Amino acid sequence: MRKFLLPLLFLFLFILESLFVQYLPKKVFGFERILVPHFLIIAILFLTIFVGKKQGIIYAAIFGLLFDIVYVEIIGIYFFLYPFIAYLINKLMQIMQANIIIVFLATLLGIALLEIGVYEMNSLIHVTTLDFLSFINLRLYPTLILNAVFIIIMGYPLKRLFEKHAEALRAE
Amino acid sequence: MPQFFLNKRLIILLVSIIVLVALIGFSLRERSKLSWPEQFIKDTTGWAQSLVSKPTHFVTGFFENLQDLQNTYGENKELKARLEKLVSLESQVQELNKDNKDLRDILGEKKTLRDFKPLPATVIGRNPDRWHEMIIIDKGNLNGIEKNMAVVTASGLIGKVKSVTKFSSTVQLLSAMDPKNRISAVIQGEKEVYGFVQGFDDKQKLLLVKSIPSGAKIEKGQKVITSGLGGVFPQGLMIGKVVDVKPDQYGLNQAAYVKPGADFYDINNVIVIKRLMTQPDKKAISNGKEEEL
Repeated sequence: MRKFLLPLLFLFLFILESLFVQYLPKKVFGFERILVPHFLIIAILFLTIFVGKKQGIIYAAIFGLLFDIVYVEIIGIYFFLYPFIAYLINKLMQIMQANIIIVFLATLLGIALLEIGVYEMNSLIHVTTLDFLSFINLRLYPTLILNAVFIIIMGYPLKRLFEKHAEALRAE
Repeated sequence: MPQFFLNKRLIILLVSIIVLVALIGFSLRERSKLSWPEQFIKDTTGWAQSLVSKPTHFVTGFFENLQDLQNTYGENKELKARLEKLVSLESQVQELNKDNKDLRDILGEKKTLRDFKPLPATVIGRNPDRWHEMIIIDKGNLNGIEKNMAVVTASGLIGKVKSVTKFSSTVQLLSAMDPKNRISAVIQGEKEVYGFVQGFDDKQKLLLVKSIPSGAKIEKGQKVITSGLGGVFPQGLMIGKVVDVKPDQYGLNQAAYVKPGADFYDINNVIVIKRLMTQPDKKAISNGKEEEL
């Protein structure tokens, strides 16, 4: 059971992201902003921080590839960026201590890096013509706020879950 | 220097960047079909997605129904008022339809660009990253869906089928920024004006209709529909209404800003349009020879 728990959780978040966007109305609280859920990368970063670098990067690569194939149809963008950001955050957390507030900020930093990375890649292959300033106003701020709310709600349960998982791994 | 090359991390980074570029290049190519691993993965996740999304549809549908019940009375009044107009309109339409059919019989042309077969489908997913505006629907190859078919909701055109697998397919919305995404459109008026739907203004949420001849007169509020001349879409699918007209970059053409009729958000059920008139064979066009009948 324990073995399947993590893949199922990640798969659920993977589908939840798409469902969330599907039912999101055009205007959220009267603003026409683009809110992007990044629940998957939040869970991946928590996994990297609380369980281990190797596991984090493996999950990041698998779900990044899945994300690319199913949702984006351009293979490579998330396949590269998910593990890369997991690696960077892992490096960052080696200097800091895994305090819940520090973890919160580090995860937000990871999401911001991901958004900017995807934006740069997309403007490189002409998927978007948005300029950087309106990208920040239209997408980045609202996205960060949405995901911050998600981390505040789900952060503690996720942390407990991964800590338990890490203990179980150590016991084996 | 040898230290530099021995740095394992750097080599991994470089190799992965090369792989990244190769993969992106591979997937950006004009592909008529997805490769089989991709199809397999999409079908499997599509199945998982519909497992989750069908119950969600049910629950949200229930709450929407409750909301609808609240303003039923007012709506009912208004609808009754409209109903009377509708009856006369309907008889008129019937007459016109009959006329049209008779005239067509005389001409001997049975098929029109307008004829299509609707294939209803349910949305089971949407691209969460929202750069590539795409939705995933639960009908695929086996249900007769093919690449490039038009996809509409009750209120208008929303996009076209981008890729098909056995049990699901991906629809690219009109709001996606794709330079290859062009749709031949007509602006209805006293004189019909042709143009291409090409691009989407992200800030104002308006569609751009380009390549309109500079002499053409276009007014606000005119309706834009598909022309059926592109070869894939049928004629007469509603796209939207003109909001603004501007001369384009070089002043040779005009560009119209069109407010899409359909809502690109919160889409649950769509209809895929299969055009009945056959597409012209590419060979027949390029050979320059006409078939003898």
